[in-house]
Amino acid sequence: MTTDGTLLVVAQRYGDVAGGAEWHARELVRHLVPHFRIKVATTTATDYWTWKNDLPIGEELVDGVTVRRFPVDRGRARDFRRRERAAFNPGRSLEDERRFIEAQGPVTPDLLEYVASHVTEYDAILFFTYIYYPTAYGVALAPDRAILVPTAHDEPVLSLTTYRRVFHAPRAIAYNTAEERDLVQARFGNERVPHEVVGVGVERPADVSGDRFRNGFGIGGPILLYVGRVVPSKGCDRLFSDFARWKDDGNGHRGTLVVLGKAEMPIPVRPDIRHLGYARDADKWDAYDAADVVVMPSRLESLSIVALEAWSAGKPLLCHAGSAVLRSMSRRSGGGVFYRDYDEFGALLDLLLGDAGLRATLGAGGRAFVDRTYTWPVVVQKYRDLIAEVRVRNR
Amino acid sequence: MSGKVLVVVQRYGEEVTGGSESHARMLVERLAPRYPVEVATTNALDYWTWAPHYAAGTAVVSGVPVHRFAVERGRSADYKAIERTVMLEPHTLADEWTWIEQQGPHCPGLLDHLHRHGTTYSSIIFYTYIYGPTVLGLPLVPERAVLIPTAHDETALRLAPYRALFHLPRAIGFLTPEERALVRRTFRNDEVPDEVLGTVLETPGVGDGAAFRARYGIDGRLFVYLGQVSEGKGVDDLVSWWAGASPDATLVLAGAVRMPIPEHDRIRALGRVSEREKWGALAAADALILPSRFESLGIVLLEAWQAGVPVIVRADNPVTAGQVARSGGGWTYTSADELGAAVRGADRARGARGQAWVAREYAPERFDAALDRLIAWAEA
Repeated sequence: MTTDGTLLVVAQRYGDVAGGAEWHARELVRHLVPHFRIKVATTTATDYWTWKNDLPIGEELVDGVTVRRFPVDRGRARDFRRRERAAFNPGRSLEDERRFIEAQGPVTPDLLEYVASHVTEYDAILFFTYIYYPTAYGVALAPDRAILVPTAHDEPVLSLTTYRRVFHAPRAIAYNTAEERDLVQARFGNERVPHEVVGVGVERPADVSGDRFRNGFGIGGPILLYVGRVVPSKGCDRLFSDFARWKDDGNGHRGTLVVLGKAEMPIPVRPDIRHLGYARDADKWDAYDAADVVVMPSRLESLSIVALEAWSAGKPLLCHAGSAVLRSMSRRSGGGVFYRDYDEFGALLDLLLGDAGLRATLGAGGRAFVDRTYTWPVVVQKYRDLIAEVRVRNR
Repeated sequence: MSGKVLVVVQRYGEEVTGGSESHARMLVERLAPRYPVEVATTNALDYWTWAPHYAAGTAVVSGVPVHRFAVERGRSADYKAIERTVMLEPHTLADEWTWIEQQGPHCPGLLDHLHRHGTTYSSIIFYTYIYGPTVLGLPLVPERAVLIPTAHDETALRLAPYRALFHLPRAIGFLTPEERALVRRTFRNDEVPDEVLGTVLETPGVGDGAAFRARYGIDGRLFVYLGQVSEGKGVDDLVSWWAGASPDATLVLAGAVRMPIPEHDRIRALGRVSEREKWGALAAADALILPSRFESLGIVLLEAWQAGVPVIVRADNPVTAGQVARSGGGWTYTSADELGAAVRGADRARGARGQAWVAREYAPERFDAALDRLIAWAEA
């Protein structure tokens, strides 16, 4: 195997680290390994905030793949918030933008030197996450081989002049969702750059049992499931208060809110909110199977792995309308409904829990949507095609 | 209907000389009747020091607003040292960026203009790939940029900071098909559409060949070289061949002399000449000889053809040899023997072919149409 060429993958962190883009990069590498010779260029950091040099400089193997770690010269600056404010000000200067990108970290000139001088050894270079220094300054060093995986959100930083080159220079862009593609193209006018909606694959295990989950944890009745970090920024505070208000409104609602994920805020102590901590993969899929509805209260989601998993499990998604991406994906897939406030949350929950046929219809729509785009065979094939195109153009 | 066009170039003004700068000025003045056009440039006149010469601010040159931004740092004193490092020695990416900075012109105001006001223009045309205003400025506005690189086959073209520059613009305007081939080969950027713009020539002067011969007392066959008389232009090889082979003809060198010339009664170095004398020399000549190995457009070839004079060029200069092959307006040589044969055989018939070709290929309407297409791509 490994006949499709040689790849370099550039990511700000890599290995046993938390983070959506980092997980994405590693999972993708694991699935591309049968087809390519791969090397990863990353930093010695494990913490996305401080970027301090936790790991040794040099090469090691992760999942059997050579990972070369470059030192972080400067992590997040002490005055980062001030730099951020200056860069988000409409009157910002180019110097404000440069200082912000450097203050954000990880400043890794050695990684850039590596990319600049080894570019011809690779058939393609995958750059993860447009926002950080390695990609923001690295793509322009390898425009004829760069495939950008931007993971862009509708956020103030996307307006910086400095990022325009990142979205115009690469050979190809692999977006996570059609919504991300539309956002980027509207912002940058870069339709001419070859692109594809690729994202990641979801792997539904064969052996899944909702009953095993219910019996194991002793949960009966309707289940509303939340999966993810338990933090206010994901909308968990509102979710807990909305759920409690709905349960306590005197209409005799039944149901349990099951929470899977690391708690980084207090969770109300009541019998109908069950926090089960960080779940093993098997438990997670059993939980999806047991759930009647999966809820996603975050307004900042772009590609939500949880939404994809819920749909893959054939479950309806109840998501916050503030997330434009999830709202649009729910509409396109027919796999979810969205709420703006407590009244809509309660009404939609009543509707879904009262109608098994509706839940099944939504779940089937979601599953078909995921199977079309977000499975590993589909994702791997799209990357193989993109990389083949890049090779041909540099021949 | 088109919006405003901005032309970015390192120097601009009536006193400014230089190939890309003259091209930029010609282009701006052809655009002005048809598009709202502005220029963004520095306040420098000298391309080596980049010393301030013009007032910073907006002036009007031939009816076109010209925004001149202050050069904050000219070419650094130790420029030659960093140049040597980057061009000849093992070095880092950081060294390459330092070289670009020290080359100058460092003009943050111009970059800030692009950052703040770039989106008010519907297209922005950048001149000369090598200097700061383009290599740092074009990436700020890639979605509306046209690049006119005026690229040569030189080490700088292969430095990492220039890689993205040739992939970012919406379209590229080349001066010759050879420049186009060089850039395509180097950057594999075939996704960016291009035009071979060429140039628009000024109306040729009317030369009096008899008066020229009389003034310098030259009889018989006459060959002319126009331009700087220097080793860099390959004139040393030509002169030593002429002195040794002594063809039955006179070699006239018209241009500033920057090298020693051997004493020889059939070699005449005139120094710089007026426009009138230039056209007189061409009118008197059997052919123009251009021995230069590096040339981006070879404007003197085009002028010779305007005057109906054939040309003799090196076969290993891709640009001039390519022009001769396309026009049929002269001869190429790879050896002293071939040069001798060309000098003995030169006649005006090939000059007439060159004249017809220049009239066709360098027609102003053709240039304007190609420029319109470049702007349309940038606005699309």
